[in-house]
Amino acid sequence: MDDINLIEFFLSDFINPKKRVFTGYLVLSVVLASLWLLFVKRQSLKSTFKKIFDRKILWSGSAKADYKLFLVNRVFTFFISPLLISQVAISTAIYMFLHSVDAFNQNVFASTPTSIIIALFTITLFVVDDFTKYVVHRWMHKIPLLWAIHKVHHSAKTMTPITVYRVHPLEGVLFSLRSVFAQGLVIPSFLFFFGNAVDLYTIVGVNILVFFFHATGSNLRHSHIDISYWKWLEHILISPSQHQVHHSIAEEHYDKNFGAALAIWDWVFGSLHLSENKGKVFFGLDTYESGKESRIKDLYLEPIYEIAKILKTFCIKLVSLLLNWLSLLRDLFLIQIKKNKS
Amino acid sequence: MIMKKLKVTTAIVAVALSGTMALSDGYGPFPVTLKGYSGDKTNTVSYSGQIARHVLEQSLKKLAGKGNGGGNAADLEAQMLSYFNGSDDDLPIIAPKSKDGFKIKQTSLHQISKGKNISGKFYDGAMPAWPGNMSGKDVAYNMIAMAAKSNKGFDADTGYDWAQLISKYTMGAMAYNQAVDNYLDEKLSAEKKPNNKPYKDGAHYTGKEHSWDEAFGYWGAAAHQHGFNPNKVYEIAKMKNQGAADKNGDGMVDLKSEYVFGPCYYAAAFDRSGTKSTNYTNTLFNAFLDGRKLITAAAGEALSDSERSQLKAYAATIEENWEKVLAEAVFKYAGSVYKDINKMKDLSGDDLNKAYRAYAKHWGELKGFAMAMQSGKSNLGATATKMNELMGFGPVTLNNSYVTGMDSNGNFVMDRKRSWSDYQLHMLKIQQMMVDQFSVKARVNDGLNDLQALTDKLDSASSAETD
Repeated sequence: MDDINLIEFFLSDFINPKKRVFTGYLVLSVVLASLWLLFVKRQSLKSTFKKIFDRKILWSGSAKADYKLFLVNRVFTFFISPLLISQVAISTAIYMFLHSVDAFNQNVFASTPTSIIIALFTITLFVVDDFTKYVVHRWMHKIPLLWAIHKVHHSAKTMTPITVYRVHPLEGVLFSLRSVFAQGLVIPSFLFFFGNAVDLYTIVGVNILVFFFHATGSNLRHSHIDISYWKWLEHILISPSQHQVHHSIAEEHYDKNFGAALAIWDWVFGSLHLSENKGKVFFGLDTYESGKESRIKDLYLEPIYEIAKILKTFCIKLVSLLLNWLSLLRDLFLIQIKKNKS
Repeated sequence: MIMKKLKVTTAIVAVALSGTMALSDGYGPFPVTLKGYSGDKTNTVSYSGQIARHVLEQSLKKLAGKGNGGGNAADLEAQMLSYFNGSDDDLPIIAPKSKDGFKIKQTSLHQISKGKNISGKFYDGAMPAWPGNMSGKDVAYNMIAMAAKSNKGFDADTGYDWAQLISKYTMGAMAYNQAVDNYLDEKLSAEKKPNNKPYKDGAHYTGKEHSWDEAFGYWGAAAHQHGFNPNKVYEIAKMKNQGAADKNGDGMVDLKSEYVFGPCYYAAAFDRSGTKSTNYTNTLFNAFLDGRKLITAAAGEALSDSERSQLKAYAATIEENWEKVLAEAVFKYAGSVYKDINKMKDLSGDDLNKAYRAYAKHWGELKGFAMAMQSGKSNLGATATKMNELMGFGPVTLNNSYVTGMDSNGNFVMDRKRSWSDYQLHMLKIQQMMVDQFSVKARVNDGLNDLQALTDKLDSASSAETD
């Protein structure tokens, strides 16, 4: 691999409009942050600039760890991705399954105007994708085994747009599978019922809704710029400030705002927390020993140790349960023998 | 002394000639290398018998569509059998025939070769893809008898299109089988048809030269098509480009060397369509050409072990790619059947009958090619069993019934029904099987194409970001 290829390998996400950290979106995020600080927060141009490009944040130990994880995870992804089930395999299996159900009529909605088919597909894909993100994210917090992995992301004490890459490779695998399943379900279903007019409304090759999510500052959710929306809108869309609440160290903010783009899921399932003007929100984990958030080795290995510990405890419990059952069976057996003798 | 010098000179000339031939673009002419040959022949390439058989197959296909519903059954069957079993009489060529802008040199079989038939070179092992537990050849006789009784080669009740079934099946059971299971198989051994002896007494070509030429003849390529764009090869077979076909410029297309027949035509058809990522036509042609050059370069000596192993490698390339061409055909027509069903779902009355006829034609091609695949060197084992199960003995007809077997009187039994959607699923699975088992790449009429295209467009990895 020559130098140019190596640079492209590591930095391709910055030139890919399908990725959140695409340079265009980052520039738009800076513009939005500036407007917010200048006109809503009424700050001077100088302090706006200083706040957005705050060296203490961009070069904190936590942020530096983000950058390292970003690079190392690229290598992990390169080797792991080909091992995962492909979306085509899932789509094909579901497409074939739909053929096998007699009650389903292929192309039953094929006469729907093309523009409506495309709009429906675009929206459905976005909504299903977003909903599965909510569900999996919720599991990441509620299931101890997954929380052990997800902690890596929440250990960030300062947040920058690169914090989106601060994840354990196992979490990367889980989220890739989620994406494969979500799209693998929607694509064949639409093609089966709506025919080959199915397509996507796109801007620069990206689902138009995903484009708006990114263009309107999705990068700021992982930042210290606490842009909030009107209360009613924060019931529908997660504002950057709401996601920062999700990362907050404060106890009242635990397990809130799991949503990615849409807040509706949090609202419906009772995990919504609106943004608040109570001053600075501190990020990170209070259970984490200070400094660990910057140590790469710990970030990669700690979850593995923790998972092993959880599994060990589980196995011990299982074995003791089995032993209890066995002794109970033995007792019952002995009682029966005694009865037979008498 | 003089004799010795003469021998050395002859050997030098032969090698020099073969060197010159090596630069030749086409398959032949190749010089005489047989030691001790004293006749006046200069070219050893000869495969007119195979060309005659291709013509018999194409003529038989035409005849299969001539039935009038039973009235002419006996005569038509006799006529078809004269082409299948051969005849002492000189038979007229029914296809391919000259048309405006494409003049064919020969009009009768004897102008190509005498005493040739299809039946003597027809696969006769088990053929479980067809009902009735018959041998490969008996299946052909059964199809001929049914075609003769039918109305224009079509049986609406069963959905059988006899012309397509007979023609595509023969392309495998005769041409593919003879090439890969005979000439490129046992006849490449050291003992059989050695290169230091004539193919048969009195022949001017060696055992290996002629064995290889026979296989080339069955492939059906034009001798001069080396390096041709697949479009050009396709146009020759479709009789649309006399200029490309008429190598010697005599204003006529010589079927013996200038025309493209079935197997090679399909290779070109796949190279020019679908994903356009294949090169079957030239891969096969080059393997035949390189093999023939190797034999010629042996200058009439028995092939060494290393020469034979190189020759076998060319044969393996031919066999593998030929099988892929057949698998591409199965893939394509499974896709056609899938699409035809979608069309039929929305139609009724005459439109439906018309669409059903097209569906039956495509199904006939599908089945014929599937049977062709099973007539090769290997019988494909579990793959064939699964493919036959998915395809069934017959297509799902307008009332959803399909042929499930044959009774003791030779009548087709249609005692089960299947939904069209279910049958479409079978077609998708057949396509998937062709991809998984034979790595087909042209993938014409890909039923999963839209799925693949949308998936590629979305790129799931881009949505894998976590929060």
